[in-house]
Amino acid sequence: MNLAEGVQLVSGGILAVMMIVTALGVVLLSNIVYSAFLLGGVFISISGLYILLNADFVAAAQILIYVGAVNVLILFAIMLVNKREDFKEIPGRWIRNASTGVVCAGLFALLGTMVLVTPWSVDSTSPAVIENTIVEIGKHFFSDFLLPFELASVLLLMAMVGAIILARRDLIPESMPRQETISTSLTLPERPRELTSIGATSGEEN
Amino acid sequence: MDFSSNIAAQLNAGIILPEGIVILTLMVILVGDLIVGRNSARWLPYVAIAGLLTSIVALYFQWDTPDPDAFLGAFSGDNLSIVFRGIIALSTAVTIPMTIRYIQQSGTSLAEFIGIMLTATLGGMFLSGANELVMIFISLEMLSISSYLMTGYMKRDPRSNEAALKYLLIGASSSAIFLYGVSLLYGLSGGETNLNAIAATIPDVTGGQSLGLAIALVFVIAGIAFKISAVPFHQWTPDVYEGSPTPVVAFLSVGSKAAGFALAIRMLVTAFALVSEQWHFIFTALAILSMVLGNVVALAQTSMKRMLAYSSIAQAGFVMIGLIAGTDAGYSSMIFYLLVYLFMNLGAFTCVILFALRTGTDQISEYAGLYHKDPAITLCLSICLLSLGGIPPLAGFFGKIYLFWAGWQAGMYGLVLLGLVTSVVSIYYYIRVVKMMVVKEPQEMSESVKNYPEINWTLPGMRPMQVGLIISVIATSLAGILSNPLFTLTTDSVTSTPILQSAAVVQELPTDQMEISDNF
Repeated sequence: MNLAEGVQLVSGGILAVMMIVTALGVVLLSNIVYSAFLLGGVFISISGLYILLNADFVAAAQILIYVGAVNVLILFAIMLVNKREDFKEIPGRWIRNASTGVVCAGLFALLGTMVLVTPWSVDSTSPAVIENTIVEIGKHFFSDFLLPFELASVLLLMAMVGAIILARRDLIPESMPRQETISTSLTLPERPRELTSIGATSGEEN
Repeated sequence: MDFSSNIAAQLNAGIILPEGIVILTLMVILVGDLIVGRNSARWLPYVAIAGLLTSIVALYFQWDTPDPDAFLGAFSGDNLSIVFRGIIALSTAVTIPMTIRYIQQSGTSLAEFIGIMLTATLGGMFLSGANELVMIFISLEMLSISSYLMTGYMKRDPRSNEAALKYLLIGASSSAIFLYGVSLLYGLSGGETNLNAIAATIPDVTGGQSLGLAIALVFVIAGIAFKISAVPFHQWTPDVYEGSPTPVVAFLSVGSKAAGFALAIRMLVTAFALVSEQWHFIFTALAILSMVLGNVVALAQTSMKRMLAYSSIAQAGFVMIGLIAGTDAGYSSMIFYLLVYLFMNLGAFTCVILFALRTGTDQISEYAGLYHKDPAITLCLSICLLSLGGIPPLAGFFGKIYLFWAGWQAGMYGLVLLGLVTSVVSIYYYIRVVKMMVVKEPQEMSESVKNYPEINWTLPGMRPMQVGLIISVIATSLAGILSNPLFTLTTDSVTSTPILQSAAVVQELPTDQMEISDNF
């Protein structure tokens, strides 16, 4: 093992440990601001792993998009919602936590076994052959991934339109008096079901 | 410079002409609304319908195209995908007439709604032909994200908000699981994203079955089953159907489901050909659960939209019988059933919308005595519901019998018997609504029917709804008796699709008495 391989191995290990610890922190800490910052840590460690895999462009995009945009957006959302509410401790909560833990551990064991037993076909192309990953990505975008690449623009356009619809302030129209059909102001025309006592409708709620 | 000219020669971009027409319509609607303003609502829906119908015509001219692979294998325009794209475009074209009045009466803007619905259609159409993992994921997300937006369109209604949030959260987690499964496929095949290439390389790499392939299969099926709302993955369906605007429910129950089935056929038959026994087994379990749970829980519902939600779960169970059969007859019976299901379900939803707009409720008990006030809606709703239940002269009966016949030929006796029993159960809850409307005496009428407004079809937006309703009802009553053209269409689409033929050879070896009788 020469020096370069050793450095790769050690930094890979450090990044993996960092990723797992921060990810556990995101899930287990109860303060949501800590979780959001730790999520940034997860994204940065993933980007480090991309660099080790010679995917430099993906690593940069990961930091720009996930840390720079998504995570900052999450923090903004948390700061704008400054509503404090103390939740009551649910009785028997540890049963839920324990069962979730068992399911997660089982899933982890299954996936771990799968990763170890499967004979993965490893690409033997040396990374030295590709000198500029951005050019390669560009070639793919304009040849075999052309259709999904272009289609993503329609998807983003519609996501933008949808976000504007959700966020804009609507003029709430006056509910017109009886005019042959029901008219409402931004609600469903169907009336909500009458809420009766729980015992009476236990058969219907499903 | 020769890179671009080399690529451009191989793209074969004419295959996506129908989708191009839909994108163009979408642009016309967004820009037209921007320029003209709210008054554009008078002509925009008709532009959308015209665009969708043109796209169906374009699909018709691509039938039996000699070279169906476009965009270097990313998209396949074979006859199977043409039929499914046609079903999805048609379902939107029939859904739009019923949205006009509904959306305008709620005070929200119509143009954006139709724009989002067209995007969802586009996602479904691309999903039906997608032949490559990235393409599949992008079009699946396009369909899902537009569906979430449509679900939450009634912003001030807490039910709509709840439905949208629930749908978004469950949908996002199911997409994540699907993506995990797809990434396993990518890894197992040594970095291939094209489905045909994956099917070709996986046997060499893994040497037959492996744990990785099985896990990929389970994860992918979880994603697909969420889209078609098969039973263990159905929890979102009733709440989302109850809380979304009714036209959205109509689209979700027909267009979105058809897209899910198209994805299921293409992915399972090509990429998972090695583990076909396993996926047949999983889908058998899903079909049994969907048929039993969907039909039994529908019995207890008091709201029409929730009842139709459970009924759509059960109908997905019936359609899965055709998928499990895995024969030519099985696949073509699936397509045939989806086609007639389109008309009968959309017809039923149009009636539900009309009733809700006139009385402001969708409780089944409020339909009591509707016959005395509005015989036309009573007749149409009865025809559609009886057809959904599978009563003989109507289209639903022929669709179901074709499905069951295909299943019986493939030797799935237990599943077909279960289907027969559960469809008898389903007749009970459909007939309950019909009885509520028809049999009640005038003095037993419900409050809302007593206050039923004067029927006036000349109000803005009512005429298209009437036209859509009449078309659906006529198709529902006649598509069964005059089914030969539809039957030929579906059989042709299956027999001329290469991916299904190579798979069917393996399946059909034990049963070689597959004469296809054209007489129903």
